Amino acid sequence: MSKRFFFTLVGVLVLFSMLLTACGGGAAPAPATEAPAPATEAPATEAPAAPFEPMVVAAPDCTYAGDGMGFKSVEAVDQYTVKFTLCLPDPAFPSKVAFSVFSILDKDYLDQTQGDSVVISENPVGSGPYKVVEWVRGDHITLEANPDYWGEPAKVKTLIFRWSEQSAQRLLELQSGTVDGIDNPAPEDFATIEADPNLKLYPRAAGNIFYIGFNNKIAPFDKVEVRKAFAMAIDRQRIVDQYYPAGSSVAINFVPDFFDPGFSPDVKWYDYDKAAARKMLEDAGFDFNQTITLSFRNVVRGYLPTPDKVAIEIQAQLKEIGVNVKLEEMESAAFIDATAAGQKGFYLLGWGMDYPDATNFFDYHFANPANQQFGDLIPDLVKAINAGAVVADPATRQKSYDEVNKLIKEYVPMIPVAHGGSATAFKANVAGAHASPLGNEVFAVMDNGADQLVWMQNGEPAALWCSDETDGETLRACEQVFDPLLAFSVGGAEVVPNLAEKYEANADLTEWTFTLRKDVKFTNGATLDANDVVATFASYWDASSPNHKGRTGTFEYFNAFFGAFLNAPK
Amino acid sequence: MAKTAQLDTSKHAEQRSPAREALHHLMRHRSARAGMVILGLLILMAIFAEVISPYDPTELLKDVKRREPPCIHILGCPADKPEHIFGTDGNSRDLFSRVVFGSRLSLQVGIITMFFAILIGLIIGAVAGFAGGWLDNLLMRFMDVLMAFPSLLLSIAIVSVLGIGLINALLAIGIVSIPRFARLVRSTVLSVKEMEYVQAARALGASPLHILFKRILPNAITPLIVQGTLGIATAILDAAALSFLGLGAEPPRPEWGLMLSEERNSIFSAPHLVFFPGLFIMLTVLGFNLLGDGLRDALDPRLSRSSAA
Repeated sequence: MSKRFFFTLVGVLVLFSMLLTACGGGAAPAPATEAPAPATEAPATEAPAAPFEPMVVAAPDCTYAGDGMGFKSVEAVDQYTVKFTLCLPDPAFPSKVAFSVFSILDKDYLDQTQGDSVVISENPVGSGPYKVVEWVRGDHITLEANPDYWGEPAKVKTLIFRWSEQSAQRLLELQSGTVDGIDNPAPEDFATIEADPNLKLYPRAAGNIFYIGFNNKIAPFDKVEVRKAFAMAIDRQRIVDQYYPAGSSVAINFVPDFFDPGFSPDVKWYDYDKAAARKMLEDAGFDFNQTITLSFRNVVRGYLPTPDKVAIEIQAQLKEIGVNVKLEEMESAAFIDATAAGQKGFYLLGWGMDYPDATNFFDYHFANPANQQFGDLIPDLVKAINAGAVVADPATRQKSYDEVNKLIKEYVPMIPVAHGGSATAFKANVAGAHASPLGNEVFAVMDNGADQLVWMQNGEPAALWCSDETDGETLRACEQVFDPLLAFSVGGAEVVPNLAEKYEANADLTEWTFTLRKDVKFTNGATLDANDVVATFASYWDASSPNHKGRTGTFEYFNAFFGAFLNAPK
Repeated sequence: MAKTAQLDTSKHAEQRSPAREALHHLMRHRSARAGMVILGLLILMAIFAEVISPYDPTELLKDVKRREPPCIHILGCPADKPEHIFGTDGNSRDLFSRVVFGSRLSLQVGIITMFFAILIGLIIGAVAGFAGGWLDNLLMRFMDVLMAFPSLLLSIAIVSVLGIGLINALLAIGIVSIPRFARLVRSTVLSVKEMEYVQAARALGASPLHILFKRILPNAITPLIVQGTLGIATAILDAAALSFLGLGAEPPRPEWGLMLSEERNSIFSAPHLVFFPGLFIMLTVLGFNLLGDGLRDALDPRLSRSSAA
């Protein structure tokens, strides 16, 4: 009996002491978190009082960029004016700075986080229509309307991002009403959605290219005859007819047909001719006993809605001319890394446009030393592409691009197959729903009449700060939270003012001056000024900057759009 | 006269060999009969696949839409449409031809893996049981380790190491099934080893190999047949699961699990594409299970006597 009493006493004491520490523990840090709060506020309130000290980041000269593109300087002219000076003229500059990868951060916040995407993803501070509440990894992201947003506030208070790789699951969730909108319904489901009065389909313009890539350093694709023969052996019309939804077309050039300059209607791709392809392979001494590996990722993109089916189709088509193909399905990120590193000889890949200019297609793929997916760059092609990128006159540019398209046909670095139509689907009652040809749907303009809008896309974002991202699934989440200097019109591809009210360039398009809005506040309370813009662009450009972290540190898009990094390690 | 005739037959029945008696019991076992009918049809389908299937299973048909629902002329499908009794799949291939050729693949998979597993299991079990001592301990602990993993998980691990492919998947499933047979054989060997007739053989100077193969192992054959038949069903199911996960057969092979996985996204828009391969996996597994059950009843002397009574 006394033993029992003793144990009860011990138990009560333990419970009591736990309670005490729990309360004490909770009480103790409270003043600690309160204490630094005024400290961080203090400089923020002082800042306006201090005179504005304009920041300048400049390269001594343009030799660091070789003959290619590059920034010469980024400077704050006054508190609300930023000037970019470029080494070479760039007619596409406004489109490039409108791209969400180049969003602007508060300078103090940037210095705090050192531009590390992982750190920023924990607690993103932006100026966009939404702010991040929580990111439950592997499940969903919750965003909330930003009350201090400088533009028109978001219509729906809470925005939820969800994702599923399975198109059947996305459609099922939309039909059952657990989500308000989905991305990329499967082509065979287009009719189902159109027939359903509760749902609405929003077709997305085919601003993309699906291609079959070759690496010219990996046998047997080191021979141009083999690549050409493969190009003739693929029945592209059948692929588009069988596996693509309405609104898709067989590719004539690498760029979609509405690219002007860029598209050359007179440079037609090789006609489908099995017999000629077989003969060309025989003449080239092709070994028909070998098995060729075709690599792909089974991830639905607008340019390739049914990857595994198309892979099987290509396998069967090549079998008809006696070429044995083995399919290799890879994990998405591993596949992208392997192709970009030049490890895959024969693969299915594509490209969705980031901004509507031919430089976005040609420069990234065929004149980008960082990307080795096609093996060695072809010097003639690089020359023609660079010639087209640095002049302003559309007719002169078109002449260069005619040459580019002709050279692509001659060297066959890849087979352009299709421009794929895709779509988003929303509940019929979602006002303002749309599909963006660039894949950046703006949820702030959508209204479903409730306090919560749920969006389901194909994949989980890799981060919530996109300076170092290339995947559209990631960019779409960043676009709701951060603002670039300019933006694209909602559901369109036209460049419109954003953080910058207006911009102008000098006559030869090497100096671009942006005037910022004065009423932009970040969610940490700081206001936007020119130094934020300079500091953010410096973190992208200057490889020696402590803020040049990103996620993997490659900053692929900056490299592809604006040229070389400053102080790049040798 | 009639009486002697009756006596005659009963006498004849008693003289039947054990194998014939087992067959007799098996044929009287209703579910075993059903199993044999199913398997018989499947085996015929596998043997005459070329004759039965109207198309090449890997041929992508021109002029046919993909994911067409079944079209059977005698059931009212317009005569101007080509006949596809199971419809066409996501690459406009004839689904019926693929299912038919799939039966060949699945039966091969089940039988080859079980043959492999039984062979290795028999050797390990016999050596462990007969030799005893540290060798027994070593072999059986190793088998215990293999059994400690869920079989599908272990085969996934083995395939990941060996590389993706049907042959590697077969190997993995075979390896995973070994412990069952090894234990079975070992337990039979242990129980028979001490019997008087074995000791008699030993006393007469028979060599250990002779004792093992001629006197002991024949006792293990009956349970092995039963376990093996049931094991084929599991092996077919595991192979289909591995292919479904993309670790087994590679496209364009007509493998049932792979066919399911290729079309799992169109389950609502074209349900026939997952229905038929799924149905045939089920039928095959059911057939082997029914037959295995029947075999167990027929071959087990205790059970058969009670069922005959």
